[in-house]
Amino acid sequence: MKGPRYAMVVDTRTCVGCAACVIGCKAENDTPDGYSRDWIHSLVAGEFPRLRMTIESRRCNHCEKAPCVSVCPTGASHVGPGGTVQVDPEKCSGCKACIAACPYGARYVDPRSGAVDKCTFCWHRLEAGKTTTSCQEICPTQSIVFGDLNDPESEVSRLLKTRKWYVLQPDAGTAPKHFYLE
Amino acid sequence: MLEAAFRGGGRYWALLGFWGLLVALGLGAWGRQFTEGLTVTGMSQDVTWGIYIAQFTFLVGVAASAVMVVLPYYLHNYKVFGRMVILGEGLAIAAVLMCMLFIFVDMGQPTRVANVLLHPTPNSMMFWDMVALGGYLVLNLLIGAVTFDAERREAPPPHWIKPIIVLSIPWAVSIHTVTAFLYSGLEARAFWMTAILAPRFLASAFASGPSLLILLALILRRFTRFDPGEEAIRKLALIVTYAMTVNIFFVGVELFTALYSDMPHHTYPFRYLYLGLHGHDSLVPWMWFGAALTVVCVTLLLVPRTRNDLRLLPFLCAGVILAIWIEKGVGLVITGFVPNPLGRITDYAPTGVEVAVTLGVYGFGFLVLSLLYKIVVNVRERMIPA
Repeated sequence: MKGPRYAMVVDTRTCVGCAACVIGCKAENDTPDGYSRDWIHSLVAGEFPRLRMTIESRRCNHCEKAPCVSVCPTGASHVGPGGTVQVDPEKCSGCKACIAACPYGARYVDPRSGAVDKCTFCWHRLEAGKTTTSCQEICPTQSIVFGDLNDPESEVSRLLKTRKWYVLQPDAGTAPKHFYLE
Repeated sequence: MLEAAFRGGGRYWALLGFWGLLVALGLGAWGRQFTEGLTVTGMSQDVTWGIYIAQFTFLVGVAASAVMVVLPYYLHNYKVFGRMVILGEGLAIAAVLMCMLFIFVDMGQPTRVANVLLHPTPNSMMFWDMVALGGYLVLNLLIGAVTFDAERREAPPPHWIKPIIVLSIPWAVSIHTVTAFLYSGLEARAFWMTAILAPRFLASAFASGPSLLILLALILRRFTRFDPGEEAIRKLALIVTYAMTVNIFFVGVELFTALYSDMPHHTYPFRYLYLGLHGHDSLVPWMWFGAALTVVCVTLLLVPRTRNDLRLLPFLCAGVILAIWIEKGVGLVITGFVPNPLGRITDYAPTGVEVAVTLGVYGFGFLVLSLLYKIVVNVRERMIPA
């Protein structure tokens, strides 16, 4: 595949679950009250006082085989540049088929526009020449890394080659491009 | 012929007035939903389809069930359904219109509904559902109008309509199949992702639709001089019995596969429905009531003496309709979102706005049905020798 193939890598070992990524996204993308394009998922296991916690900063997985794109009746949900999954709010009729199809709960209807909204990998920033997403920029522990999988020298490629990683719901067969480092 | 719809007695106008009132109520509520957005509904980030899509699913079944009178009459030349067929087609027309409206009112941005046709995407089941429903509406309007016009002139229907009637039979099956595919093709929702969903939809449709048709036929017999025929009503009751029995079997097959394999994602939705999950049990009374109703109705339908009792039959039909309505209109859609893919459980209950809009859509459907049936009754009454 020619051109970039954008992905995100989140380090669960350094993430402290401060939710700065959530606030950063909210400020950058002006998401409506009560809705968010990214969120913190924490899983606590064990019994007090022997506990362990896994924290994941979650958002749209920009799947290679995106079910939301398949089910969309208007073509509003589409595979955009760099292999990202995007929604054209001018085309979206708000039928919510994509929300039912998404195994990651990444989408919602923006009550202001009636259209479906979700993480764009801060596409407006990339178009403006920046190379980072807002969640990545604000992360105090540098746990979020965004980059090009097709570039072997990129930070995301390097991390995926050198660290043990997993994706969410691999059984869904969606080939997500959002990775978590163990 | 059409002017008959606007000539009638006080009782007829009172009926139309009642439906009109519901439509006005629904329009008012929808106006509020349109200006304020879907936040006025009980739907949330986790449960994004609610009472609207559930009614849509139930009514696609009612629409498809017309095939249960069309197929025996046209394919097997079963004359008993001669006066019933047009009622089935009329019900299908009204039901499809309601289906389309329920999709429309569920949209976050209804002004862009045309985008489904302006930007056709053949990979989307939603797109095919629109094609199937639109086609089914046109087929039934055409077949109903042509055959009824011929009957009015006491002439045989034109030959060219026959292949179109034959086409409408698989088409009826297709509308409910595509509707099931809307759900069963989603890897994110274990509850819906089952190959038996389409057969289940069809079985329950062929029970609920003919039940409604029996009720309508009995009402027409009671209040007009037009009689669709006692034998036809009894035959429909037999169809309801078979379909409902098959539906119970399909639900049993589903329950076995999910519960015996004991895979968490497949058992959770059923536990949520029948036992409650982590204290969330708002649907449990509904589901057990529906199950009890199903058992009672099917038992009484299976016994010929009670099935053929025309005073008991309307209650059995109402019971079957209610049981299927609970299965599809309450349980099926909401539970697909419980627990959501992140494991979170969010309860859903429709708001007053949603209930009002729902009543409005039903009001519109029954308004159309009343007008269509009035035309049929008027012509049929005139054909009866005094």
